[in-house]
Amino acid sequence: MLLKRIQPMVFQARRLYVDIMFQVMGRALQAVSEVDETVQNEARALPKGLLFEMMVMPEGSRLIVEHTGDGHFHYHGQSAPRPVDLSIQFKHIAHAFLVLSFQEKTSEAFANDRMLVDGDVSYAVRMTRVLNRLETFILPKLIAKRAVKEYPANLHLPEKLISAARIYLKVATNFVETVRP
Amino acid sequence: MSQKYYEFFCPVKVIAGKAALEHIPYELTGLAAKRPMIVTDKGVRAAGLLDPVIAACEESGLEIVSIYDDVPPDSSTSVVRDIAGIYRQEKCDAIIAVGGGSAIDTGKAVNILVSEGGDDIAKYSGAGILKHPLKPFFVVPTTAGTGSEVTAVAVITDEKKGVKLPFTSSFLLPNAAIIDPRMTLTLPPHITAATAMDAMTHATEAFTCMAKNPLSDAYATAAIRKISQSLLKVMDNPKNAEGRLELAQASTMAGIAFSNSMVGLVHSLGHATGAICHLPHGLCMSLYLPYVLEYNLESIREPLGELLLHLEGPEVYSATPVARRAEATISAIRKMRDQLYKRCQLPRTLKETGKVQESQLDQIAEMALDDGSIMFNPKEVTLEDARAVLRRAWA
Ligand SMILES: [Fe+2]
Repeated sequence: MLLKRIQPMVFQARRLYVDIMFQVMGRALQAVSEVDETVQNEARALPKGLLFEMMVMPEGSRLIVEHTGDGHFHYHGQSAPRPVDLSIQFKHIAHAFLVLSFQEKTSEAFANDRMLVDGDVSYAVRMTRVLNRLETFILPKLIAKRAVKEYPANLHLPEKLISAARIYLKVATNFVETVRP
Repeated sequence: MSQKYYEFFCPVKVIAGKAALEHIPYELTGLAAKRPMIVTDKGVRAAGLLDPVIAACEESGLEIVSIYDDVPPDSSTSVVRDIAGIYRQEKCDAIIAVGGGSAIDTGKAVNILVSEGGDDIAKYSGAGILKHPLKPFFVVPTTAGTGSEVTAVAVITDEKKGVKLPFTSSFLLPNAAIIDPRMTLTLPPHITAATAMDAMTHATEAFTCMAKNPLSDAYATAAIRKISQSLLKVMDNPKNAEGRLELAQASTMAGIAFSNSMVGLVHSLGHATGAICHLPHGLCMSLYLPYVLEYNLESIREPLGELLLHLEGPEVYSATPVARRAEATISAIRKMRDQLYKRCQLPRTLKETGKVQESQLDQIAEMALDDGSIMFNPKEVTLEDARAVLRRAWA
């Protein structure tokens, strides 16, 4: 019976967590694309104006960024100004939670059929690498190692961005501990 | 609780072995199809491979209503539209694709148009667009390598836009794959070798890449065993029907494995090389396989070492210390490539192909990084990594 009362809370917490992490990632994507050359080089191959979305099926939270050209991303929040060009869709909020709480790598989630790509696969490949790079920025090294295939050796980032991201992270990791079912 | 999760799906009926073609009429009748159309290419027809298919149907009183034999090596949207037009005009109700990758992909695409309607195949490009089962569709492979008879993907070139359109849906899978040794008996040596190495690569990558799972592992290892036991026998005696059937089955099994667990960097590099230098896919696979395994080595040491058992048999496997097995697997693959080089000059390096310039390597590396299969490679590949592998594969 206890389970029945706790479950809705868990669900709610998970939804909230995914919401927050999408916001963190959206802002961080924009921030990192302004300072990190690796991300810029990766993103430059994307068409200017490309709208990228990550979302939870069927109608859950989403994160939308636009490639405004020259490797820079702009975070649009939850709503897109026009139909998106590339969409990465989690099949269920539980799967989004696994990835966004860094229990499952993005590439692993693809391999495990947790999410679908709608759009040009070559752009999805690039965005996955951008997200990998991003995860290493947002996270302390220990957790990032779990979240990406390989932790890059050449990671330099302005102190300010790191500390800003770590604040979000603190919220995030606390969530993982309390919410993990 | 285990952290592992996987999916496995293969609803294709496999009809394999002696006189397999003669099962086509019965299988078609079972799906209420009476007016099949054959989709194939000129090479298949010239090799006389249609004759046993047609004879098998006619003997059972089933008429092949139409034969389209002009599928090009890189099938296009206009070819698909033309074939769909003939299918409608002749009131066909089923498709039998006879051939290699291109004929099979064309059959899949035609099936979309004749089932869903319209003339514009581009409209159905992408993943998960199709929501309903399509018309009865059979595949008779005439090469033993691509595994297209069990994959849910088709690629068709949009010649106006100059892009390759991918189609992904489990509804593209044929109702049946008919594996008859007669269909691969006349395959020339270098194609036999290259396509078998494509299947070998499918199985090896399926077994070592990120989406490996217990079911795909079983298919992958069985395929590797069949190829290593039969390929050289068939190279020495092309009319060896038993060996031909083993290779054809291995190709289908490797196809089932990789369509469920994906491929990795060998294919990313191979796709790029195929596009830029116009080298056959199987050749590229054979060429890159050992270099990529060396690059991935520390991430795949354990599964790679296990493959030694299936490549070289229990004696060699048990005589090789555990710590040396992964390297021994790579050596076994190199040995096989040397044997193939001796028999049909299947190139082992980019230089040996005579069709690649050293100055093209950077372009290949960059294109490979955009290939979807790189996502499933067990090691994260940077541009520099891809370049390094290519340099090693150069000579
Ligand atoms: Fe292949």
